[in-house]
Amino acid sequence: MASETTIQPGRELRPQEKQAIEREGVRPGPVFRPDVDIVEQKDAFVVTADLPGVDDRHVDVRLEKGLLTIDATLATEPDSAWTPIYAEYRFGGFQREFRLSEAIDADQIEARMVDGVLEVRLPKRSQHRPRQINVRAG
Amino acid sequence: MARYWLSNPWSLDPFPDVGELRRRMEEVFDRVGGGSTGVARAGVHPPVNLYETGDSYVLTAELPGLRVEDIEISVERDRLTLRGERKIEHPQDASLHRVERRAGAFRRTVQLPVEVDGEKVEAVYRNGVLTLRIPKAPEHQPRRITVQGS
Repeated sequence: MASETTIQPGRELRPQEKQAIEREGVRPGPVFRPDVDIVEQKDAFVVTADLPGVDDRHVDVRLEKGLLTIDATLATEPDSAWTPIYAEYRFGGFQREFRLSEAIDADQIEARMVDGVLEVRLPKRSQHRPRQINVRAG
Repeated sequence: MARYWLSNPWSLDPFPDVGELRRRMEEVFDRVGGGSTGVARAGVHPPVNLYETGDSYVLTAELPGLRVEDIEISVERDRLTLRGERKIEHPQDASLHRVERRAGAFRRTVQLPVEVDGEKVEAVYRNGVLTLRIPKAPEHQPRRITVQGS
């Protein structure tokens, strides 16, 4: 079933408004909290985030002390020669943080950006990896 | 369909969202305070912005993760309709820990201030944002009037 809405410039309407987050100013302008899916597969977790207007050069995915941070800025802003006559969304960056469990193999994390969607693949640490245990002479 | 191992998905969330608790508290206060945040969030309602540039309108829509072939644009006189479907497929054997991204079909109709030239609409889809340049109908184009000196 299709959702259906008619808009008329000048009339107020609230579609899916992006959630702005308060943050101590590192960058000027608003920062939004992106919608995220987190899926667990047998061998990995996959974090998918909607980042409309962001390309691969404007997104920063970082893992530091168990904290996965997604930080993005827009690749392009609207042409300043355009006169806005109706606006349902604002422009700004995106940010979100997740605390990772220890079961992630941090060296094998992969991320890609396609059509404004970021996908981060976080492989689980292999439980069957052989571990060398040093036996010292007594 | 979300599957969780425990009845309370927050307690054993492998990826706790930092700041989640605070946000949830704020949501509660929003509701108590009678804020207007009770808008239904189901389905896809891509937000659009509309601009004017003199001889045309520019409409932008946030549509991350769509395929170009799943977007349909039609123009009738002064009404522009955007139709499409966002498909999200999760692998069958996957457990869904957090599902915020919305999928489904949508239709949005924009009533433009004046009639436009539907034949000349240009569409670009980049980084999950659709940008349409919609020329005004010839009779609504701004005209340059030459002022002749005496």
